[in-house]
Amino acid sequence: MSENGHDRHRDELAAYLLGALEPGEAAELERHLAGCEECRTELEWLRPAVQLLPESVERVEPPPQLRGRLMEQVRAEAASTPESRPARRWSIGGRSLRPVAGLAAIVLVVAAVAAYAIGNGGSGGGGNSTTVVSGHSPGVVAQVVSDGDSGTLHLANLHRLPPDEVLQAWVQRGERVESAKTLFVPNQDGTASATIDDMDGVSTVMVTAEPRGGSVQPTSKPIASVSMPQ
Amino acid sequence: MGTSKAERLADEELMPRIGEKDPNAFEVFYDRHGGVAYSLAYRIVGERGAAEDVTQEAFISIWRSGARYDAARGSVRTWMLGIVRNRAIDFLRSKAGRAPKLDFNDDSILEHRPAAEQTESEALQRETAQEVRGALDELPGEQAKVIQLAYFGGFSHSEIAGMLGVPLGTVKGRMRLGLEKIRGELAEGLT
Repeated sequence: MSENGHDRHRDELAAYLLGALEPGEAAELERHLAGCEECRTELEWLRPAVQLLPESVERVEPPPQLRGRLMEQVRAEAASTPESRPARRWSIGGRSLRPVAGLAAIVLVVAAVAAYAIGNGGSGGGGNSTTVVSGHSPGVVAQVVSDGDSGTLHLANLHRLPPDEVLQAWVQRGERVESAKTLFVPNQDGTASATIDDMDGVSTVMVTAEPRGGSVQPTSKPIASVSMPQ
Repeated sequence: MGTSKAERLADEELMPRIGEKDPNAFEVFYDRHGGVAYSLAYRIVGERGAAEDVTQEAFISIWRSGARYDAARGSVRTWMLGIVRNRAIDFLRSKAGRAPKLDFNDDSILEHRPAAEQTESEALQRETAQEVRGALDELPGEQAKVIQLAYFGGFSHSEIAGMLGVPLGTVKGRMRLGLEKIRGELAEGLT
């Protein structure tokens, strides 16, 4: 490495720590760092200055409902984690779902084209109200657990989403489809959960893939939709 | 594990519990860091609703990937704030129609550094927000501006050079001088 090259890379250390280098420039700097102890030392000396930048922001109190939504989702996911709840299972189409105790109503839905005939035939779900399914994700399993005015949507066998997409939940009341104001992404094991705050009058719960940040109206076909008993 | 027991644990001890899907450990973790996380998200995206979404997404990511945290590679708080920043910047870039510059590999947020270098860094983490703000306030305006555009705006150095109408080398120089001054202020009494 020439002296000029070294100086150029040293001048880029701050931009690198601030995330301001283009990916190619960052990769080139990292190659230089691997062989330059002087630059590595300076990088580590500078690093705390960037790490502490978030501490400089003016504190804004997060809304209480954020904590409530987070904990609701976390507890729902914990309840559906196999190691956390060794309980009896329902088996649907070769897939198993764990029951959630103390809930007022349970609707199970197999969201697969292959399962459509079963749903229409009225034989699925072991006596529970069963429905649906159209969409481009064969094998997706959806479960809506309603509890009073709210509900929790559990999904399984989801495909990984592109990094610029999220899942968005929707509710249908009469002819009107509204966002449930819930954005989420699948877990690595293909499961996901979402809270539906207001289930009053909801006839159908749907999930679509939307651009990150969500959409005002669905922009893609539902991955799954669940008809609620009326 | 009950919440009261979790409250007695250090962040680094909470993470394995969160990795085991313990909601009480996660609740304590959120109560400790949710405020600064939301504040950072709001500082970057500038809208309360979007800041909520970003914070929720970041914490759910931590809930789902807590087991991947490696205490040997940095503090939990630094890791968490890096995740929040990545998602907030990605939101900004998506909204502005800019290509995402940051990936979602949260592991990359953890720095690779020798253990001996962590001690000083963790001590510096205890600096108060007021001291950090003071160090930023004392910077010449042009240095503070490039640092804020990069860190809180997610702009690359070439984008900043274009916005300010100054050569790329000038932007790099201001970033370097600014960070050196902040670091110098923070290091007083510690080196």
